[in-house]
Amino acid sequence: MAGLELLSDQGYRLDGRKATELRKVQARTSVFAQADGSAYLEQGNTKALAVVYGPHETRGSRSKSLHDRAVINCQFSMATFSTAERKRRPHGDRKSSEMSLHLKQTFEAAVLTELYPRSQIDIYVKILQADGGNYSACVNAATLALVDAGIPMRDYVCACTAGFVEDTPLADLCHAEESGGGTSLALALLPRSGNIALLQMDARLHQDHLDALIEAAMTACKGLSKVLDDVVRQHLEEVSVLTRD
Amino acid sequence: MSPMKLCVPGERLCSTEDCIPGNGTYLRHGSIFASLAGYVLRKNEGEELPVISVVRETEAQLLPDVGAIVTCKVTSINPRFAKVHILYVGSTPLKDRFRGTIRREDVRATEKDKVETYKSFRPGDIVLAKVISLGDVQSNYLLTTAENELGVVVAHSEAGAQMVPISWCEMQCPRTHAKEFRKVARVQPEYLQA
Repeated sequence: MAGLELLSDQGYRLDGRKATELRKVQARTSVFAQADGSAYLEQGNTKALAVVYGPHETRGSRSKSLHDRAVINCQFSMATFSTAERKRRPHGDRKSSEMSLHLKQTFEAAVLTELYPRSQIDIYVKILQADGGNYSACVNAATLALVDAGIPMRDYVCACTAGFVEDTPLADLCHAEESGGGTSLALALLPRSGNIALLQMDARLHQDHLDALIEAAMTACKGLSKVLDDVVRQHLEEVSVLTRD
Repeated sequence: MSPMKLCVPGERLCSTEDCIPGNGTYLRHGSIFASLAGYVLRKNEGEELPVISVVRETEAQLLPDVGAIVTCKVTSINPRFAKVHILYVGSTPLKDRFRGTIRREDVRATEKDKVETYKSFRPGDIVLAKVISLGDVQSNYLLTTAENELGVVVAHSEAGAQMVPISWCEMQCPRTHAKEFRKVARVQPEYLQA
């Protein structure tokens, strides 16, 4: 490790967290009145905004619509000011298209699309500040937005990243840890059933360590699901108080 | 009113032996789970098991379904079909418009081959219709007005006045007394609001 020590001898990480500790998550739902559902989520310094429209009539060519379920259309974008170096294209590059596809696959596993045949559900997510775990912040924000829109889902989808440093799995990596060149695994989980919606790992890892790493990511996802749960319940109570008076 | 129980998507509500799954729920492994965030509502209907459903403060988006009676507005006509915008499903307004088609052969039940779309609808008419299919790759929602209760309910004459129905196939303008052809609906009294 050149200069940077990702995990100190005392077991603390760069930002002072323990190995399994998550970053602080703050979230709000119904941030826009115009959309059917929306949410804003901060996971440490990573900030994401998600907006959901639908289900509505399929836009564009009708050949895209499916006769037995709804089409989920995802668009991922990053604000030009979200990274240290200013971005040229906020969306449409190769990386964003891949992310959009991953988000689409994740939510096809969770949303009960068969209830809305021949229609379309749009999910737009934007990263306002990128500090590692962009995919997971997007998934968590989009889950809140879908719940806010009242779109039926099997379960929440919670996503979290996990890394592996000096034989220890680290949960919820920040940008410095992610760019260190080590292993990073992204996992999207349906926490109550324990089903995995998406699992992605781009680096090499010894097979013996994989189970420990997945276990760490799953624990982190379950922790996150409690936070999302609190946000949803709090919002429901606020709305019911407002409408009753 | 007693405080109702909150629930979130994925939460187990009860077993299938206790309740029948309703709106906002789904079945898995013999249990009923919530698929929406909202309040749990149990409704007893006679001797049968209560129906359990999840209700929300704001009504969820509704989609036109096969067999549903919809209210639509005619946007364009040609000799083969009339194009419409679906505005209501039953009595619930839709948030955004869905497009639909009423084909010539679906306008009325008798003498289908003699139907002329120009003598049945005009752009701007408000029509009651029934959904017969969600359509295929080329087409939108397919609708029919081949029932006495279905057809034009509100139409304006060339003079701009709202016309009065005089038979099942004719309407008259109260200002000019000119008669125009329409496929008129015999509106059931329960649909008429005071």
